[in-house]
Amino acid sequence: MKKHLECILFLLMWPLLGHTQGTRVVGSILDGSTGKAIPDVSIIIENSSFKVKSDAIGNFSFSGDLPLGEQFLILEKVGYVTKRYPIIINRGDLLDLSGLIMDYDQSDKTDLYVISISDDNLNSEDDVLTENISGLLQSSKDVFLRAAAFDFSATFFKPRGLDNSNGKLLINGLEMNKQFNGRPQWANWGGLNDVQRNQEFTMGSAPNSYGFGDLAGTNNILMRASKYQPGGRVSFAAANRSYQGRLMGSYNSGLLKDGWAYSVLLSRRFGNQGFIEGTLYDANSVFASVEKRFNSRHSVNFTGIYAQNRRGRSSPITEEIYHLKGRTYNPFWGLQNGRIRNSRMRTIEEPILMLNHYWNLNSKLSLNTNIAYQWGEIANTRIDNGGTRLVRINGEDAFLGGARNPDPTYYQNLPSYYLRNTNPGTYDYTLAFLAGETFQNDGQWDWFSLYEANENLRVRGGNALYALQSNVVKDRQLSINSIVEASLNKHILLNGALNYRRLHSENFARIEDLLGGTGFLDIDFFADENPNLVSEGIAANRAQSDLRNPNRIVKEGDRYTYNYSIDASLLSAFAQGQFSYKRLNFYIGTQLSHATYQRQGLYENGFFPSEGPEGSFGKSKLISFADYGVKTGLTYRFTGRHLTEARISYFSKAPGHRTVFSNARQNNSLTSGIGSEQIFSGDLSYIFRSPFFNARITGFYSRFMNGSDISFYFTQDLAGLGLGGGDAFVQELLTNIERQNMGLEFGLEAQLTPTFLLKAAGSFGQYTFQNNPQLYLTSVDFEGELRFGDGRTNLKNYRVASGPERAFQIGFEYRDPDFWNIGLTANYFSHAYVDISNLARTANFSSDFDGNTFNDYDPVIARELLKQERLEPYALINVIGGKSWKFGDYYLGFFATINNVLDQEYRTGGFEQSRYANYRRLSEDRSRPGGPMFGPRYFFGNGTTYYINLYIRF
Amino acid sequence: MRHFKNLLAGATVLILYSCVADDDFSIPDTSISDPVLEGPEISIAAVAGQLAQEQGNTELDYTDETTIFTYEFETQALYMVGYVVSSDEAGNFFEEIIVQDQPENPSIGIKILLDVTPLSIRYDQGRKIYLQLNGLSTGITNGVLTVGLRNGNTVDNIPSSLENDLIQRSPEVDSIIPLPINIDDFEDDKTNLYVRLEEVQFNRNLVLGERPLTYASESFDEFDGNRLLESCSSNERTILSTSTFADFKALSLPSGRGALNAVLTKDFFGETFNVRINSPEDVYLTGEERCDPDFLDCEGATADDILLFSEDFQDFEGFEAAGWTNINISGGNRDWSIGSFEGNSYAQITGFNANEDPINVWLVSPGVDLDSSQSEALSFDIQVSFDNGSILSVYASEDFTGDPEEATWLPLDVVIPSGPGGGFGNFETTPSVNISCLSGTVHFGFLYEGSDPGATTRYHIDNLIITGN
Repeated sequence: MKKHLECILFLLMWPLLGHTQGTRVVGSILDGSTGKAIPDVSIIIENSSFKVKSDAIGNFSFSGDLPLGEQFLILEKVGYVTKRYPIIINRGDLLDLSGLIMDYDQSDKTDLYVISISDDNLNSEDDVLTENISGLLQSSKDVFLRAAAFDFSATFFKPRGLDNSNGKLLINGLEMNKQFNGRPQWANWGGLNDVQRNQEFTMGSAPNSYGFGDLAGTNNILMRASKYQPGGRVSFAAANRSYQGRLMGSYNSGLLKDGWAYSVLLSRRFGNQGFIEGTLYDANSVFASVEKRFNSRHSVNFTGIYAQNRRGRSSPITEEIYHLKGRTYNPFWGLQNGRIRNSRMRTIEEPILMLNHYWNLNSKLSLNTNIAYQWGEIANTRIDNGGTRLVRINGEDAFLGGARNPDPTYYQNLPSYYLRNTNPGTYDYTLAFLAGETFQNDGQWDWFSLYEANENLRVRGGNALYALQSNVVKDRQLSINSIVEASLNKHILLNGALNYRRLHSENFARIEDLLGGTGFLDIDFFADENPNLVSEGIAANRAQSDLRNPNRIVKEGDRYTYNYSIDASLLSAFAQGQFSYKRLNFYIGTQLSHATYQRQGLYENGFFPSEGPEGSFGKSKLISFADYGVKTGLTYRFTGRHLTEARISYFSKAPGHRTVFSNARQNNSLTSGIGSEQIFSGDLSYIFRSPFFNARITGFYSRFMNGSDISFYFTQDLAGLGLGGGDAFVQELLTNIERQNMGLEFGLEAQLTPTFLLKAAGSFGQYTFQNNPQLYLTSVDFEGELRFGDGRTNLKNYRVASGPERAFQIGFEYRDPDFWNIGLTANYFSHAYVDISNLARTANFSSDFDGNTFNDYDPVIARELLKQERLEPYALINVIGGKSWKFGDYYLGFFATINNVLDQEYRTGGFEQSRYANYRRLSEDRSRPGGPMFGPRYFFGNGTTYYINLYIRF
Repeated sequence: MRHFKNLLAGATVLILYSCVADDDFSIPDTSISDPVLEGPEISIAAVAGQLAQEQGNTELDYTDETTIFTYEFETQALYMVGYVVSSDEAGNFFEEIIVQDQPENPSIGIKILLDVTPLSIRYDQGRKIYLQLNGLSTGITNGVLTVGLRNGNTVDNIPSSLENDLIQRSPEVDSIIPLPINIDDFEDDKTNLYVRLEEVQFNRNLVLGERPLTYASESFDEFDGNRLLESCSSNERTILSTSTFADFKALSLPSGRGALNAVLTKDFFGETFNVRINSPEDVYLTGEERCDPDFLDCEGATADDILLFSEDFQDFEGFEAAGWTNINISGGNRDWSIGSFEGNSYAQITGFNANEDPINVWLVSPGVDLDSSQSEALSFDIQVSFDNGSILSVYASEDFTGDPEEATWLPLDVVIPSGPGGGFGNFETTPSVNISCLSGTVHFGFLYEGSDPGATTRYHIDNLIITGN
């Protein structure tokens, strides 16, 4: 929506309008609970192009060719409940509306989505969970998008099938999406809710002042000291979803007389576990911003954000595990000396420092220049079970040791493993029963045995068998941009921007805890597992993570296993014109960009000896991507009540460095066939607005071409590698992916009485693969790039797993004049699909170890095995409510929600495991007496959860 | 600012309240105390005796793999005591613990089957352990005494879920003194003991070729790499068996002679003895003086100008008719025969399915006159298949008259290649052997020394050629 831009446009014209005589509407706006004036409120005469903002003392004024008769005045401000006042404008009269009241929105819904966003980001390193988009949408005023942001987000619903890499998240005009995968890292500014209320959301590809944007919209969070409401706020929240408690205190000075403004915030979120067991939460956030307004033309703002976040992760689980342990089960934690310890902790610590310069050259031209520096690391822990000791005999090395995966859900710990063969006997059933019983009674991480093993070895002078490893990404990023806005006349607004950023990203594994041991031998324990490579080279050399420093014993804090850096840069330019006329608004925008990536190996990996692009040490080739984009669109008002909007865009997007390097941990190889993704998208909306009823319906279509993806897994029996030679840990590279997203979405709300609002929203989409992308595997277990058949995976017409394709909501909000409110929504979701195994859709599926088709291959059974699973539909009911009171200078309030009131059990998503990716293995696994050993893993939704927030404002 | 101070004070209080239980986890106390047993101890010998009784014998019958003795769940617990001798640290033992009754001078050992990996970090060598027998079964599996959980008519793994209920550890860890033993003293009741073989070496064919073989990572190794170990003090031989999953499988076999410590056990079929090491550190074959036979050592040049003798076995009329001697000197029936594949004929032998032990068979060539030539050399082609031991050697004799046991045989320095354990190898031509110092009418002999059960490697011999000038 173009609200904000139009406001700015109008403000720029303010001096001209002020001199016009005739019909006028003037007024002032006060805070309903404090009685203080509210600046920066958007005041709109509904269904007209008249919009103004209140000034520093809350006053506003309309004049000119105002619409006459009965009209509605809309008051909007972030953090306040939007108000609609009926007014009558008479020709030539002055209508004085002094003392209009706006109420602070105690609902603070933004916390809700932030919880789910943080959950998602923290739960996994690299899976569908990180794609949640609701954070982008939080500040949208659109009924549908609000439903998507708040009520749909718990289910990974994605509006139009788009995830957060299809949106842009900016802070003070600087893009925060990571170059690694194009996604914003929400934890970087988590816990700062009180200072993130100023958000400008631009829906879809609609024009915004900052950049070209992307399909899912652009959200700019203004974190600028002078823009905050003066006063303080202290709040305490209690919940049982991710964190159990949150404390937050903030104070904003507002713009002081000497031109200074400052704002500070401290917050802490904590919990020993959320809805899922063992998910510790420990997050502290600090924010400070200082701004100096030198004069009406120059302001300089400094903003510093330090959001530290530590979180225990959980795991998607198979059907079998779900039946044994339920949806709150998390295998990653176990007791250590009676206290819960999670083996998979994620720590994020990436502070941001920012300087912003705002310069109004004249009333029609402004220039905003920003520079930001972000540094720090994201670390994910896991247990390394490959500890060994070096034995050197006659100059030859062997590494003795290593342990089985200690994960309690390791497949050999589950009943299905003991019933894997046909016709199991008494012994098998006994073992299956015992395994199930043990898993049910315990099933948690056995820290004691890890310490016991290390202690036993330490006493004998050996190295640690187990260690707690971190996979660390340590980034330094510098971003600079300049954003210019020029108003040529009352119809034409021009925007432009130049952006540059440079990232140096170090990636390595690090020993965090030797678990009682004294040292860990840095070699690849699995290096000599594969018979295909027995004759080539010396196993002891292949096992080295760094040939230049072999057989190192590493201690806590040391890097090991892999160590490399990525240098990435992105330069982009953006230009846009927006044109507004009485019945028609339209825009045209374009973007050019250039991205480069280069890897530098800091270790010389034993599997890929040598330096340079063909090896693992030193620099890879420098790869660059040149991209461009164009977009255009229009809004046409048939009448004030009936509008239509149409937008189209075509652009290309460089891949993130996640997919550019095919095996970044071990070598300098670039992904074969990698290129920029091309995106074409269009949508068409009909919008109806009346005093009592608002509605929007939109049809959308997007096509994505030449996309790429990478995944990592262990798989068995790859075709063509010979008998017993097909087991490998692989990197799967998928390129030339073509997808299509199309569907309808709608939102409507009816203000039945001034206090009672009825709302409905829904989306009906279909997100499919449109071609058979290229697929190849790389691995240290075989040479080169492994392709199957024609080198493609038959994905065409499969669904892209992107949450429920259909979501519907109906609900109401009641807002009592006596400062309390309650709302309820019923939400229905269906047509969510499980993410399929790409490998199982290649020719590998039907091929035996010698590359020939299985002699027992049955196409009918094959079709059944490859059918994509659709998850069960489900309904969720959410309740929301709050109240506030005034005590002297203090205002006290609370806000609470209960989600999933009926405690519905549901699956939000899932994925097929690629461990078994051929006909024989899969059909065998599906027909085991005890169920599959490697069935799909599912994400389960939360049961009934609550969130309550108490706050004091002053 | 008053508000601000209140805010800070309030925040301080609340932040103290909001600590999470995490970080600085103290190291758990993993020390072991003497277990409290709830019943009597029982020796391994007594366990073996109970099984023997169940078999209806006074002594344990190690070939009876069907009789199983099960310890019922009684009111009183029964504990078998033993000292751990095996280690799965290097992956050469898998889901089994070998225990013996004493740390030194043991008399009997037993294999405990347990579905846990790794075991050595809890059951390290020398550790005294107690196995509660109630509900478990004993029997002979793979030819050795075994305890585990009954699975039909066999003894199978104890599941990991019962590990802590059934096995208790003593803090006592003794040094295991390996039992000195000669290969010819291998007995059934010595299996599952930690033994020391003195004065042994790997067969010359394994370690003296172009590249010494590895413990178990040759392309022909399946499941286990089996390497022929010879005694220097007797003519006895045994197999060192190493898992292809062992961490040291790719190390080269040491070429010297000396001692090694290993667990005495049997092959998968329970038929032949073999030894299995915990770690390559237990192999001390460092002596430089090997005890190989005194090979014929001729000086001077060899030549291939004239062909003095050749035999390709094509259109072969039979050994006897062609002047060859084919004789089993150990009294069995198995001997050499003529085989053919894709039109090529050769002399072949295998001990497979012979059910004879030993199988010592000579194949002796017709006499070749070496008096009228000089610089003679011998070579032949050999195909080694289903290799489970290098058991062929080549000799020459200047006084052979028909009975190989009467003749004086001079061993020829021919390295017999290794072949796949589970299939056919390829024909290879041996490097030519200098026989220029022989004279008169010389016979060449191929001696096969196998046994079934035991080493039954299949050999195909072809294109025997004697050249000179």
